[in-house]
Amino acid sequence: MNIQAANRLTPYMFLAPAAAVMVIALLYPIGYMVYASFLDWNPSQRIGEADFIGLRNYINLWNSDSFWESFWVTIRFAALVVSIEMVIGVGLALLLDRKLRGMSVLRTIFILPMMIAPIVVGLMWRYMYHPQVGVFNRWLSDLGLPTIPFLSDSTWAFTSVVIADIWQWTPFIFILALAALQSLPSSALEAARVDGATGWQQIIHIKLPLMMPVLIVTCLLRLIDAFKVLEVILVMTNGGPGLSTEILALRISRTASEFRQLGEAAAMSNYLLMLLMIITAIMFIYTKLNDARVARIKAAGAKAAQAEEEAV
Amino acid sequence: MTAAFMSTALAGAVALANPYEPYEGDTLVVNFPAHPHYDAVLNVLPLFTEETGIEVEVDQLQYLRMRERQTLELTQDEGDYDLIAYVVFSKADYVFADQLHNLARFFMDPALADPSYNADDLIDGYVQNIGVAGGTKGYLPGPTGSLFGIPFGSETSVLGYRTDIFEKHGLEVPETYDELLELACLIPELEPGMGGLASRAASGHQASHAYLLHLNPLGGGVFDDNWQPIVNNEQGIEAAEALKTIVDCGIEGSTTFGPSEAAAAFAQGQYAMFLDSIAFASTFEDPSRSTVAGNVGWAMHPMGVERASQTGGFGLAIPRNANNPEAAFLLMQWLTSPRIDRLIALEGGNPSRFSTYQDPELNERFPYSATFGEALQFADPDWRPIIPTWGEINADLGTTLSQILTEDLDIQEGLDGVAERARAIMEEAGYYTWN
Repeated sequence: MNIQAANRLTPYMFLAPAAAVMVIALLYPIGYMVYASFLDWNPSQRIGEADFIGLRNYINLWNSDSFWESFWVTIRFAALVVSIEMVIGVGLALLLDRKLRGMSVLRTIFILPMMIAPIVVGLMWRYMYHPQVGVFNRWLSDLGLPTIPFLSDSTWAFTSVVIADIWQWTPFIFILALAALQSLPSSALEAARVDGATGWQQIIHIKLPLMMPVLIVTCLLRLIDAFKVLEVILVMTNGGPGLSTEILALRISRTASEFRQLGEAAAMSNYLLMLLMIITAIMFIYTKLNDARVARIKAAGAKAAQAEEEAV
Repeated sequence: MTAAFMSTALAGAVALANPYEPYEGDTLVVNFPAHPHYDAVLNVLPLFTEETGIEVEVDQLQYLRMRERQTLELTQDEGDYDLIAYVVFSKADYVFADQLHNLARFFMDPALADPSYNADDLIDGYVQNIGVAGGTKGYLPGPTGSLFGIPFGSETSVLGYRTDIFEKHGLEVPETYDELLELACLIPELEPGMGGLASRAASGHQASHAYLLHLNPLGGGVFDDNWQPIVNNEQGIEAAEALKTIVDCGIEGSTTFGPSEAAAAFAQGQYAMFLDSIAFASTFEDPSRSTVAGNVGWAMHPMGVERASQTGGFGLAIPRNANNPEAAFLLMQWLTSPRIDRLIALEGGNPSRFSTYQDPELNERFPYSATFGEALQFADPDWRPIIPTWGEINADLGTTLSQILTEDLDIQEGLDGVAERARAIMEEAGYYTWN
């Protein structure tokens, strides 16, 4: 090996042990879960004692109406909460991205909900939705309006858990969107202003496209989290009424602990994992497509800044 | 024989006479549920350490969470728990997985077994339901059965009713299901804003439990003798209709009730009747926790085509991976002994012994105890199937019932679905292998 080749390899050799640890730490549990999904395994057995049953867990789930019902509840829940949270979170960030007195206090207040433990959030909303002692129905009664069965009617129960999630996690979108906004290159915005772009035009054509890489990652993180949400729904509705709020994470937990079928729970987790991998891939492809647009805007901003400098 | 030798021999004899001495200074870790009976137990437990020198550390969890924790703990080589309280439907899972000690070896050990324990005094229905496994159907007593647990915090169902409301309207305490259901819907008419009968109904286990409360008295069952599901037969439909009537004549939000919520609604005066476990009785009589204290009467679980009340609650068992099974047995024996059973009952716990129900002091403090003692004659150990597949069938039954209660799913259609899925679960588990 010549000296040049050795020099090229040296950094990789130093990184190799840490990289190996990372790969093993990340992949071993996933491999374990995939292996478990091919077993008829209950918690009273060691994994080595369980019978290998091939794809039977996957096939059983594929043919299970209640599994698909939970699957669709999860997709509806994740799609709804993330889209609403993105709109409100980004909207708030655009509104509050200015230098006004007391703005830092306001920002701190906005991010308080995400600091509360999910179990507490679930309990808090459960009591606020309570038909007799909850504040919402108390207010409705005081106004002479009919009370609402927030948690005892299928449609309302689903809406109620969506509202609780939006309340807790919109601040997450807000805080990241605000950080993205405040790190935008001032040259592009300045150039748009010089060209006479209105505030709305600046948002649509400059700010949002430039923020898009951050927003996509934020959206992806929230989606992954929304697909795995458990505690808030467990406490608020325990999946009911019927199966109306039984999201997959709750079903997986029940299948493992109540039904004592760890293999089937692992297969269910793998279905969820596959779905999330597909969504992640789609979003990364979209990020790549958006990169070109971002580059164009940045180049235009830089060109305008250079022209301005030359004029001065 | 010298005086010194005599003295040493006597000291040895005295030491051997104290079964607790070898374990003095040890710490036992126990897992108990958050439950009124165990709240009463915690008031008495310090006495054990005082009398024996054995420390006890209590890990108290909500009872369904407790089961999850035990599922993880019992598979370890060396478990954290020396003694566990298990919810009745865990019996099959734990025994099937060989995770509990068979208690025979402790009761055979003269150094551990207390001759004054008087096991004949333990409430028979509870022992069969909670303690025995391997006999008839695999979970009932029979020639092949063994004892794996002792009932502790066991329950049966009774009817609580508001004496003031019943007197005000000249109502008779319901004896039959027809009378019960009629009253459940008449009370909201007589007392606007008040529900008839407080019941669990939340999706899953709670709705299933509420349904089972009515299924046996109405002559139904979950399975026939050949393990064929029969929840969708005439009696099964009637039980679901009864539950729907009760919930429909309840207050808003009652479809989210677990046992605590149903009990709280009754204790807050929102209902005129409560049909569930005896465990809540002391709460209703406590003025600091109940607005209806002093106005609650108790009666037997109403009769359908037969009289049957639930068996359920908790038992004590020693995990196979316990660090100190002998000392754990001593604690189990102490907790369920006649003396301590009485002390716990006086603190508001549920007796596990017939003699406790006959105790004059208990009956003076809690006059309802006499009714409960009477109700125990009808506590049915076969009230629900305690088999390893029950968890999955129970959850399916409970979510389907919730759909019947909240989404107007047709009862026959819903229960036909439950029966079909239950049959598939039973087939996969091997229950039809010998047919």
